[in-house]
Amino acid sequence: MKLRKASWLLISLTLILSIFLTACTGNQAEDPKETPGDDGKKEEEQASGPQQGGDLIIGSTGAPTVFNPLYSTDTSSSDIEGFIYDSLISSDTEFNPTMSMAESIDISEDGLTFTAKLKKGIKWHDGEEFTADDVVFTFSIPKDPDYNGERGSAFEAMESVTKVDDYTVEFKLSKKDASFYPVSLSYYILPEHILKDVPVAELGEHEFNTKSPIGTGPFKFVEWKDGEYVKVEAFDDYFKGRPYLDTLTYKIVPDMDAMIAQIQAGDIHFAAGVPGTDIETVKSFPGVKVESGLALSYTYLGYNQKNELFKDKKVRQAITHAIDREAIVSSVMNGDGKVAHVPESPLSFAYNDDVPIFGYDVEKAKSLLAEAGWKDSDGDGILDKDGKKFSFTVKTNQGNKVREDIVVVLQEQLKEVGIEAKPEIVEWSAFIEQISAPNWNYDALVLGWSLSTFPDQYDIFHSSQMEEGLNFVWYSNPEADKLMEEAKQILDQDEYKAAYADIYKMLAEDQPYTFLYYPNVHRVMPANLEGYVFHAKDDFFEISKWWLKQ
Amino acid sequence: MLSYIIRRILMAIPLLLGITIVSFAIMKLAPGDPASLMMDPTISPEDKARFMERYGLNDPIHIQYLKWLGAMLQGDFGTSLIRKGVPVIEMIMNRMPNTILLMVVSTVLALLISIPFGVISATRPYSKLDYTVTVTSFLGVATPNFFLGLILIMVFAVQNNWFPTGGVATLNAPFSLWDRIHHLIMPAFVLAAADMAGLTRYTRSSMMEVIKQDYMRTARAKGFRENKVIYKHGLRNGLIPVITIFGLMIPSFIGGAVIVEKIFTWPGIGLLFVDSAFQRDYPVLMGLTVISAVFVVIGNLIADILYAIFDPRIEY
Repeated sequence: MKLRKASWLLISLTLILSIFLTACTGNQAEDPKETPGDDGKKEEEQASGPQQGGDLIIGSTGAPTVFNPLYSTDTSSSDIEGFIYDSLISSDTEFNPTMSMAESIDISEDGLTFTAKLKKGIKWHDGEEFTADDVVFTFSIPKDPDYNGERGSAFEAMESVTKVDDYTVEFKLSKKDASFYPVSLSYYILPEHILKDVPVAELGEHEFNTKSPIGTGPFKFVEWKDGEYVKVEAFDDYFKGRPYLDTLTYKIVPDMDAMIAQIQAGDIHFAAGVPGTDIETVKSFPGVKVESGLALSYTYLGYNQKNELFKDKKVRQAITHAIDREAIVSSVMNGDGKVAHVPESPLSFAYNDDVPIFGYDVEKAKSLLAEAGWKDSDGDGILDKDGKKFSFTVKTNQGNKVREDIVVVLQEQLKEVGIEAKPEIVEWSAFIEQISAPNWNYDALVLGWSLSTFPDQYDIFHSSQMEEGLNFVWYSNPEADKLMEEAKQILDQDEYKAAYADIYKMLAEDQPYTFLYYPNVHRVMPANLEGYVFHAKDDFFEISKWWLKQ
Repeated sequence: MLSYIIRRILMAIPLLLGITIVSFAIMKLAPGDPASLMMDPTISPEDKARFMERYGLNDPIHIQYLKWLGAMLQGDFGTSLIRKGVPVIEMIMNRMPNTILLMVVSTVLALLISIPFGVISATRPYSKLDYTVTVTSFLGVATPNFFLGLILIMVFAVQNNWFPTGGVATLNAPFSLWDRIHHLIMPAFVLAAADMAGLTRYTRSSMMEVIKQDYMRTARAKGFRENKVIYKHGLRNGLIPVITIFGLMIPSFIGGAVIVEKIFTWPGIGLLFVDSAFQRDYPVLMGLTVISAVFVVIGNLIADILYAIFDPRIEY
């Protein structure tokens, strides 16, 4: 009897203790901004203008890892970095560089010296002033021999960065690099006054990155509850003006299904990347609106050109002819996208679709295959050549419903021309390992590229990138190589565009990939959210100007 | 009994070692690696290679294992590969209270509901009540966790808004005990449901055996009231096999938590396990494996000790 009492006591104690433990680690952040009193009143008077206040809960299926732009590589982390930090330049909705913390940026005649004038009076979240020291400090990190992050290549061309005076910084390049201005200069700036004494080797794992990031951006870091949320609050002294929203809570959910249920229940207000196939459902939820536009990405069918089957350009062109991309977009994707012909988004300034086009044409496909020596000599419906059948597998990653459907459609469509394409769906991490260096273990694959705001195909199609880089289809064309190398040196946008027009022509003619389609991106938000502007690459473009209409 | 407990703990050591070897091997042999996941076009292959080198991911498997084991024996579980520099132990400890809370509550819930139901069924076999309990239990056993969870979320959270869709507490709200309980009810119920069903069935059959025993008849003959006969004399003996079954169920609580935590966005170690597996975060996976293995061993030990408490005939 005594024992039983003791065991009950034990059970109830454990119960109480565990509730207590969770409570301790739980949500104890009293919102210090819960007094919108006078602000609110003022805003009410000018009823039509933006209203201050409100908390926005943003849903994400990815969990962040580290809030330091020189070390993070995932989207969730960079989303949050975008709230906390700011950069010298950013980009507008057409991806043109715009000044952010820089007042102006001058480029020398030879294109090797960049002089940045900084805006004055910008404050860090802890009240310190932002100066040239911060810029020099930040850009010196990736050049340090002890730097162990994964962002080194973005600063490869940079030779030195020096402070001229408190508000002027000079960057010297060792060679011309078209991407230095739009890409490298858009990195977020870190506070020198906090991190200067941290050895570079330890910077990647420093507490600052996860427990107390300080930036000059519109929102201040409040807390990060692992696996639950990251919370930030408006920074009153933000140099572009205090954000209208009081707080942002970046909530982590396990998957898209949970996300949609939570949007419906009102537990999540904003979500980006909702699949097109679910958009009609989401639109029917009360108090919710959906903003859509072309994403800065494309999806393709890539051919492993180490494989004998795909070495002949005619064969690749024939396969493209045999694929009804219009049908894929209209039936698999419910029309939620646009057929692609080049590896560049129509949103980019360099986009040019004046290229050889291989439309849906089964007869043309058949004749091209015959020219390449493929015929059905044993009458089994599958083409063969030298005793080898035209049969291969098409791999794609698990979890992307549209791609999973596409590989099945490809199987059907290619059967028409006598090609056997067997679908194979592989888990993401395993998929990436199989297809990339040094395995290249695939015949063909369906995958997508998310594009940079600055168009550059070198990493993906240059033959120097075959062994280890992203040219895992082993595409090689010396002429295209030469053009891509030359383009890297062009700083003028119009000239760059002209150079790329030729590169796209060559890529379209060679068909290293069959460019399938440009998908749309859908963002779900509260119906009363105002000030939102669509930016294909940035889900939270100018979030400091968003406000909720009461 | 103390020497028995010590013996059991010593026996657990080679067992745990075996578990870590097998887990380590399976994990490393599975395709995919953390560096491949950083498939960001702007990361150069050199940077990727340096990542592999820095974390010793290029060493042969057995060297990696021995390094890990050596550090682990000194209490160092390493740092996460994905969450740069965050100690594994810190990540697990952040999540552990949530999982313990969920497991304890669902266990108590399962016991509180299933034992009385089982006893009632046993005392009134083949009555309408018994049939109802039986059918419900079978439904409980047959319904997978994830399915029940999704149905509950759909009906009670999304359509009716009676319960939250997930999480441990309302975001941006001050702490309140009721809010905590409100968030706990659905996941705890789902986790309890399958075990509840099993436990009810075991209690029922075990009690039916006991009721037929001679000492029960003796007790009645002595003039004890029926309730006292059943609950004082019968239940204590009837629960012995139930305790064994319960001990065997403890590992399944941990396994079940993985699914329930994912569905209800419950930030416990189950959810951490799933995320780490998809990200190939080896140190975190190994840390979790060791800790859950220890839990299972301790769970079984507790079951054996309880067994001794409830059944005085057992001696060690």
